[in-house]
Parts: sequence; C-alpha cells; structure tokens
Amino acid sequence: MTTTQENRWIGVSAPRREDAPLIRGRGRYIADIEPAGTVHMAILRSPYAHARINGIDTAAAEAMDGVHCVLTAADLEGIGDFPTIWRLPGQKECTTPAFAPGKARYVGEPVAAVVADSRYLAEDALDLLDVDYEILDHVVDVEAALADGAPVINEDMGDNTIIEYTFPGINALGVAGDVEGAFEAADEIVSGRFKVGRYSGVALETRGHVAEWDDLRQTLTLHSGSQVASLLRTELAAALGIPETSVRILTPNIGGAFGNQWDRYPEDILVSLASMKLGRPVKWIEDRREALQATVHGREQLQEWQLAASTDGKVLGLKGRVLSDQGAHLHSVGIGPAWVTGAAAVNQYKIANYHCDVVGVATNKTPNSTFRGFGGPEAMFGIERMMDKTARRLGIDPAELRRRNMIQADEFPYFSPGGAVYDSGNYPAALEKALEAVEYDKVREEQQSLRDQGVYRGIGIASYIHVSGFGPSAILGILDYYTGGYEGSTVKIDPHGRATLYTGMIPMGQGTETTLAQVAADHLEIDIANVRVVWGDTDQTPYTGFGSAGSRSNVAAVAVIKAIEEIKAKAVRIGAGLLEADPDDVAYADGRISVKGAEEMRSLTLADVAQQAYWAHKLPEGDQPTLEATYVYDPANFTTACGTHVAVVDVDVDTGKIDWVKYVVVDDAGTIINPLLVEGQIHGALSNGLGGAMLEEFVYDEESGQLLSSTLMDYLVPSFTDLPDFEIHHLVTPSPHTEGGFKGMGEAGCFPAAGALANAVTDALSHLGVEADQTPVTPSRLWSLIDQAGG
Amino acid sequence: MAENMSVVLNVNGSGRSVSVEPRKTLADAIREDLGLTGTHLGCEHGVCGACTILLDGEVVRSCLMLAVQADGAEITTIEGIADGDALHPMQSAFSEYHGLQCGFCTPGMILAGIDVVSRNPDPSPQEIREEMGGNICRCTGYQKIVESVQAAAAAMSAEGGSA
Amino acid sequence: MKPAVFDYSAPESIAEALGLLAEHGSGAKVLAGGQSLVPMLNFRLARPAHLIDINGVDSLSYISANGALRIGSMTRLTALGESGDVAGAHPIIPAAVAQIGHRAIRNRGTIGGSLAHNDPAAELPAVLMALDAEVTARSADGERVVGMQDLIEDRLFDTTLDDTELLTEIRIPAAAASSSFGFQEFARRHGDFALAGVAAVITTDGSTITHAALGAFGGTHATRLPTAEAALVGAETGDAAFAAAGAGAAADFPSTSDVHGTAEYRSHLINVLTVRALNDAAGHTGGGNG
Repeated sequence: MTTTQENRWIGVSAPRREDAPLIRGRGRYIADIEPAGTVHMAILRSPYAHARINGIDTAAAEAMDGVHCVLTAADLEGIGDFPTIWRLPGQKECTTPAFAPGKARYVGEPVAAVVADSRYLAEDALDLLDVDYEILDHVVDVEAALADGAPVINEDMGDNTIIEYTFPGINALGVAGDVEGAFEAADEIVSGRFKVGRYSGVALETRGHVAEWDDLRQTLTLHSGSQVASLLRTELAAALGIPETSVRILTPNIGGAFGNQWDRYPEDILVSLASMKLGRPVKWIEDRREALQATVHGREQLQEWQLAASTDGKVLGLKGRVLSDQGAHLHSVGIGPAWVTGAAAVNQYKIANYHCDVVGVATNKTPNSTFRGFGGPEAMFGIERMMDKTARRLGIDPAELRRRNMIQADEFPYFSPGGAVYDSGNYPAALEKALEAVEYDKVREEQQSLRDQGVYRGIGIASYIHVSGFGPSAILGILDYYTGGYEGSTVKIDPHGRATLYTGMIPMGQGTETTLAQVAADHLEIDIANVRVVWGDTDQTPYTGFGSAGSRSNVAAVAVIKAIEEIKAKAVRIGAGLLEADPDDVAYADGRISVKGAEEMRSLTLADVAQQAYWAHKLPEGDQPTLEATYVYDPANFTTACGTHVAVVDVDVDTGKIDWVKYVVVDDAGTIINPLLVEGQIHGALSNGLGGAMLEEFVYDEESGQLLSSTLMDYLVPSFTDLPDFEIHHLVTPSPHTEGGFKGMGEAGCFPAAGALANAVTDALSHLGVEADQTPVTPSRLWSLIDQAGG
Repeated sequence: MAENMSVVLNVNGSGRSVSVEPRKTLADAIREDLGLTGTHLGCEHGVCGACTILLDGEVVRSCLMLAVQADGAEITTIEGIADGDALHPMQSAFSEYHGLQCGFCTPGMILAGIDVVSRNPDPSPQEIREEMGGNICRCTGYQKIVESVQAAAAAMSAEGGSA
Repeated sequence: MKPAVFDYSAPESIAEALGLLAEHGSGAKVLAGGQSLVPMLNFRLARPAHLIDINGVDSLSYISANGALRIGSMTRLTALGESGDVAGAHPIIPAAVAQIGHRAIRNRGTIGGSLAHNDPAAELPAVLMALDAEVTARSADGERVVGMQDLIEDRLFDTTLDDTELLTEIRIPAAAASSSFGFQEFARRHGDFALAGVAAVITTDGSTITHAALGAFGGTHATRLPTAEAALVGAETGDAAFAAAGAGAAADFPSTSDVHGTAEYRSHLINVLTVRALNDAAGHTGGGNG
C-alpha cells in the first residue's frame, strides 16, 4: 500500500502556489468578476421572525429608472426548491425554497429581489417595495418551540419536532448495550446540561454569484463560491428545470467558506433565474448584514447528559438527549450535524453502554446547517465537560480519569457504540504528550500558590476524535445521505512529460492546490513545477460526490495516487515496447521508465514515453493513445483524526475576563502532506473553535424574534489579541486503510477547543463551584455565575 | 439621483479622473471605477479591515470614506506596493511564513503590517497584535500573520528602509 | 449596504459651513471623520438629504496649549493622542484615545465628531465631562459656549446642539497642580466600544481628596458620577473611600443590557473599574474590592 519511492514533496512545507496572486491583490473573488453588461441584484428580506405575506406591491420599484426586473414568489412558477439531501428515517419532509413560501419564517428569509444597473440603485428600489405582512407569533427558543401551544413554524409538519432519532448504542457484536443496567450498577451518576451557542463560519468574503445565461448556446454559467460545485450543478439544474448538461459552475478564489458554502441557497436560484429572464449577466454579492442573517448558522444545541461511573473512575454508561435548534427549516444537510454529535459523543472512551436521542426542532431562526466541525465540536464539548464533572465528583484528576477510560492503541479498529468504526490512533500517547508539553504537574502546583495570591488559574484538558474523510458511499446510503462519498481525479501527461491534474476539490484557503501537486509530484517522481492542478470548472473537473471540505483532501489525494498508478503502469507498457523489453523487466522510477538492472543504458524519460503515447505509432495492444487516467476513489472507511488539547487560563473574578496563559495541541492526523499548511489549518480551526467558546454568538431577542447580532460590532469574531500563541505537537499514526495514510485534519482544531476552554475556566473557579456549561463563555455570563456562587 | 462629481484619484502614483455619485464609497470607486479589485469589502461598516488602504501615507478604511473625499489625495493600494516584479518584503514574508490562507484579508493585512513597521521598525509580537487588532482574519488564527510581520520588519530593517 | 442618495457640499471655511447648515437645517448632516456616520449611511440607518463635509475646513484642525487647552473640532484622534501639548496638560486624554477603535479609525475620526455623535459607549464624552470641558457651538446667528454636561444631558446619539450649529472647538481648563487621573474601561475585544468605563480625575491635598471628577460611559448615556464624587471629596485616599466611590458609581450609572452584557453586570463593572481607576489615580495598584 505504501509508496516505494522516496518522498521528495510529501512531508515538506512546500510554498503555496496559491499565494502569488493573492499577496499582490490580484486574486479573483466573486465580487471581482464583472462581465460586460452585468446588472446587479439586491434582495428584500423579511424584517420579521414570523409573518404571513399577504401581498407585495412591486409597481413603484418596477417603474424606477435603472431597474430591470423585480422577482417575487409569483415568478417561481416551474421553479423547484433545493432538497434536504440527508433524510434520516422519520424525518419530516423539508426543502429550501427560493422565496419565503407565503410566510416568512425567520428574519432574513428572502421575500423579493430587484435587479438594477448598480447595487446602489437596486438597494434604492428595495426601498420602494411594499410588502403587506401579517405578523404572527414567533418562537426562538428550542424548549419553548416544543411546548404545547407554541407557534407552529411549518404547518405541514404539524408541530415543531422535525425528527426524533435514537442512537441505541449498538456494539461490535451488533447488540445494544445495557444502559439501564449500567446506571443501576453505578456508584455515581453525574448529570450535565449544556447550551452550545449558535455561531458560524462568518467568512470574511460574503457569499455571491455571477450568473451568465447564454442565449446562443442555451447554457448557464454560474460563477460561485460553492464548496461543492458538482452538487450545486445537479440541484440547480433540477430547480431551474434545465438540463444539467447546460449548467457550468466556475469557481474563482474563495474568501473562506468554513462549511457554510457547502449548502445550496435561495440566491443560487434567484441570480440564475434573473439572468435567464434578462439574458444578461446578473451579479449578487451578499452584504455583511445579509451574511449574518441569511448564510447558515451552526452548532446550537441543548444537551442533557447523564454519565454512570464507578468509584474507581470507570465510565459504565452514558445517555443523553440532544435538542438541535434547526432554525426555520432544514437546510441542505438536515439535522446532519446533530446526528454526528450523537455518533461521536462517546469520543475516545470505552463506553460500552450508550444511548442518545437527537431531536431536530424548528424555531424562527436562520437555518442551522453545515459549519466546520459539523456536530463534532458540540459532541466534544458535552463529553469533555462530562469527563471533568465526573473527575471532580470522584476526586480523580481529570487527566487520570481520561487515562482510565481511553481506547488503547491495540484496540483498533474500534467499533464505537455511536456507530462509527475508528480506524487507528494512540489516544493515551497523545494525552501524555500534551500533559508533558504543558508541564501539567508543574502547572497544577503553581495553580495552588497563585490562588493564594488571588490569581485564579485553570487547566482544561479536552481530547477528541474527528471522524473524517466522509466515507464509503454505501455507508452514506445506509445513513440516507443522498450523495456519494467518493472523489475523482484525472491525471493527464502531456507530450512533454508534464502533468495536469484535474480535481473536484476547491481550494478555499487550505492550500489544496499545493498539497495535491505535492502528492502528484511524489508519485510521478517529477518536479512539482511540472504539475499543474486544474480546479473549479465543472466542464473540466471530475464529479465529486461529497465536495470540498476542510477534511477531504485526504480522499482526493488517494484518487490522485490511484490515477497515477494507472499512468505509471501504462508508461511501463509503452516504454517496454520502445525498449524492446518484457514489461515485467521494466520499472518506473525517478520519473523514468527503465529496464531493471540496466537503468544507465536502457532508460526513457517520461517525456519520451509520453511523446510516443501521443504519436501512437507503436502502442502495445489494447492501449489507447495518449497518457491519461481517471480514478474515482470511494473510501473503504472513514479516517479518525484525534488528539488532546490543554488550555491554561487566568480568570479575573471581578470582571469575568479570561486571559490566556498557554494553549497546547497534540494532534494525530496520520501522514502529513505539508506541515506548514497543517499548522495553519490547526491554528485556523482553533480560532473558529475558540471564537465560539468565548466571543461569537448569534443572539435572538425573545420578545421581538430579531437577530441582535447583525453587525460585526454585535457578532464578535476573534481578533489578534483574543487568541493565544498555539503550541503544536504531532503524533503520526497513518491511516491503515488509505493510500498514503492521510487523515482529514482541516477541521480537527475546532473540535476540543470549547471543551478545553470551558474546562479550564471551571477549573480556575473550582473553589466557587462555578461550571462553564454554556458557550460562548462571555465575561457577563461568567461573572453572573461567579456572583451567584458568592464569589 | 444626485449629480455625478468629477474626482481625481492619485492611486499608486498615477492620477485618474473618475465621475462618481457623491454617495459612492472610496472602496467602490477604487474597485469599480479604477478596476483595482485587490481592495476587498468584508463588512462595509469599518470593522474588518479588508478594505484598508493608505491615504496620504496613513492607514484608513476605504469603506468609510466617500470617493469625493479623496479628491487629490495620494492613495496606495495593495497593487501599488511591489516594485515591479520585486515584491515588497511584507508580501514575501506573508507567503513565506504562511500568513495567508484564503487571501481575502491579505491586502488589508499587508498594508496594516507595512504601517505598523513604518512606525515601529522592530515590533514585538504583542505590539503587532495590538496594532493590527483592527484587521480581521478568519483563516489563520493570526499567529502566522504575527510571524510574517516580524519577519518582514527584520527584512525591511536589513534593507535599510522602512516602507 | 450602499448609502441612499444625498446631495453633497464640501465647504472650505467655517462661514461657508454655517451658511450651508442654515440653509439645509434638519435635512443636513455634518460629515466629520465619518467613522460612525458612514457606517450608518451604508446601513441606510442615516438618510440625510444633504451631507456637509467639513474635512476641507482646515481652520477646524488645531491644538493650542496657551492656558486652557483648545482643540479644533476636526482634530483627528491620532493627532490628539500623539500631541505632546495634550499629554502634558491632560495625560488622561492620550490614555483614553489609545482605547478608541484602531489606528485606521483614529486616523480619520475626530474629537468633534465623537462628541457630536455621542455614542454612549464612547470614551471622549465621559473623559471631557470629567475634565470640565466646554465646547464652542457656532451658527450663522452667532456663537455660544456649552459645558459638556449641557451638551450631552442624558442623550445618546444626539446632543443639545441645534440643527444649524456646528461644534467648532473644545476647551479644557488647565488641571490643578496636584491632580492625577485613572482611566479604566472593559471591552470584550481590544478596540471595541466598552461595556463600561470610567475616567477619574482627583486632586489631593497630601492624602485628603479635595476634588474628584468622574465620568462614566457604556451605560445609556455618558454621565458624571456625583455620588461617587461625593464619597471621595474630603476622604483620605485609600481602599475605604475607593470602595465607597465604587458603590456610588454603581448607583449613579445608567446601566443597560445588550448582547454583550446585562445591566447588572455593567453596574458591577462600573464599581470595579471605578475602584481600579481611583487606585491608578492614587498612584498605586492593588487593594480594591477584589
């Protein structure tokens, strides 16, 4: 399975080929694209959380100079909704419409659109639209939404419960554990109730599209920042009622996506429809207020856990209920993230008896959908807080409690009662390495003496697993996830021996272009300068089942390796003919095709062979001309990245302010392609995780249903002084079942972050018994807890 | 509609006359009328710093100025800091130290970094964090930006110039 | 997020600006540094029919330290924060300015704009209240001098200036020889508007406090803290007086709740910050109520 040649590029911090235009201000983002004749769309959004739309008077806007068209729900004849592609058993049907369907269900839901000569004029015209709203009662709290008499958000569902899904805790033998028995046998039962805050990617570049309908060719070209162009193409064509073959998605630079761009959105349809109506390019760039209101939110859950333990610190059982605040309707992935929370909550621990109910609940809020981490960070927050609560109850050091329950290195593959098969890892080693790096014993000692001086220092440990490389398509089928888990790659060698690699992956900042080039260069054994990577054009690049995500490069890399294997085999066959040798005596090495044992004398360059492949004068029987191969890789299993983080903080008990002392990361993402870029991904994911742990939150006003965090002065993203310097260490446990041993790691950094922070804060305030069980841990919230505890 | 006004924008060393509505922001004029799309819009309310430019040598938010206010001013955008093919040391350092991922904040970050080093040729990591706090990055977690600015500061000192 | 249509004038003299204000009155808005107004224009929360841009009125930009400190209303915050004259006369000003936004904001933002905009979480109105500053308001009809308290009253995002008046100058009396200051604010991120903040100026006669002026911000409006001041004047500097002042500050503070914190939390913060500011002013740290 492993490669035979010496790696020259894999494992090297190769400079990013993406950088050159970006540092000169020559990147090309959606907003920078403006074909001749472009007109501009602006969208009227509901100012109310819940309101029936009794009519829209568009006359004044339509009569305005410079306005080309006004679209409302009345213009959607024959236009379909976007489906929810993850449809678990028992889940009520739910789709994403282009406009609010007769009533608006959240602040920001699209109600009408205007296309005008400029964005300025389009916004002027929005002012002229007159909507007759009938305001309805709203509900923005998940428990209130489940209460009797709550306003029903989607009448066809009957109530606000979209789905109740149960994880029965099936073990490797195929039987459910005995949860009730475990709780009866327990010495201690520890309970926790956790509120995981609502926040999201909030990429610096807002969403946007330029749609170009070509009347001559009857094709639609959509310039889009979607992470998953293939799926967008399929679903957009279906919604618009045009052949998929007529749709081309072009992806330019993306200014951050963080999962939010994985989903399909109303505006994808609206901008396309407007271009088809007008026969000219239509551009829509989301503004920041829209971005906060109308790009999907993430995370928000109310979790209740109970953990059964023995006095010697064994976790005997875990049961929980997760209420997922889905917002007004299911978006592209349904309750997928909350499902992952249920699947991952047992984390690194051997918990034989597990049960979890996950409930998807509708509220009058922006849909909660795909966001970096996808339910994993929520799960890690709950279980890692539970482990610390348990440690405190039992009087066992939190590191020791984890040690006593971790899956051991020789127990893989491990069949988790959450339903996942963990492929590999060494959890105890990562924990020990993290403790050593943070100088755990020393920090614990200092903690005591500092407390005597009025300095409240806390240490928070959080371990994690990240099931990534979403997976074998057959498993997705079992999960009723209506897409595939594969990635394709086409590699073409030109007559001069240079390689072009076509991938469905879309670089969003993680350096995918560079890392895939590294993999190709190593496996072709040619200089990386001779590898070109083509991405972002559905007319050229392979269909991708799952699309680009922070943790998909590992799957895409295998497709590249497999395609290259085919190319090398063909090169050997052609080369053998030219060298007049038996193919069995010919080998591909160092970018050359040579007779074994006579490499000095009887050898051809890849270019020699490629030239022959294109001339096709003397091809081996059965071989087609040219030198190219396509491989679509469907992974054999998920990969499991893992690790432990330790946060050390000081808490100012007078103000609730949290100051960083140290943050240590030990992670294991298998074989690393580019260490510098991996470090960048960990830093970035950590800042997403810690942002949600401390600062970022979409706050809704219960009274009015308004989103209060609709500017970047109210929705706080971390800035330079809010984050610590991260100290990163790696363990490398290659994935046993993927070519190259890679595991996805682009998201892993955000998994344990909130748990580590909350555990550290709770530890700092242990003398008061304060428990940080709600994120973000804001100074106001924390002081209130301190105050209630009498601190 | 208010009448358009004629404005001369001296950008990156060359003067261009544009005709704009008074309400047009300087950022939009730079992007749309001058075609210099390296200046990005991330929030349009002065929080994110993606639209940072140098106006008469000082960092400002171009989303918080009207184009008509910049009549006659000297403006430097990201497109104007390299010397032909030769990158500014701040640009090289961002690439070398992985100070960028998606690149959207990068033009503003590089200009803010140049401004910091112009006032403090040897900034500490803490000084860089405090001085650049008005520029938001969602990808990097900042640590590698801090390293990039420090490295650029050293390179600029070695060159004997400071921005 | 693009501004609605407006007419635009860029006067080059005070007289010209006052003429435009007289002509357009309540339909006009004065554009100073624009760091608060332009976001409001972009959000279309402000929709003036006419914008009077005074950035071209050079005579409004000056700092004069002859006796009382006189500062032209269009003086940029960067210039204000870096002025040796200002730091010499009232070191609390640069300490406060350093907390306002970020460099790019301070390069454009002006002292007069900050006062006229009167964001309740802004530093300068409270600081200038504590310094007993006055402002000059001019209109086509003449000129008047208004004390900071009278300028702000209990208002937020508004002042007692008339629609036709232009704030032209800030005048700050010289500090007493034995005065000292403390400035404390609490923001969730560096450079953000504060949840609460205190500017404290005290004068002592040896160890007895003879004068105390405290301005607070972050509540519903900028305000002096009279109960806190009363608790200080005549008292010995030290923990007891400072604790009493902190409690007084919490009683005086017009607290409010928003996404960043509850009213209860802000009232508590103002207490803590008042004690810290007074300790800073007394030239020592430690003690306090924590």
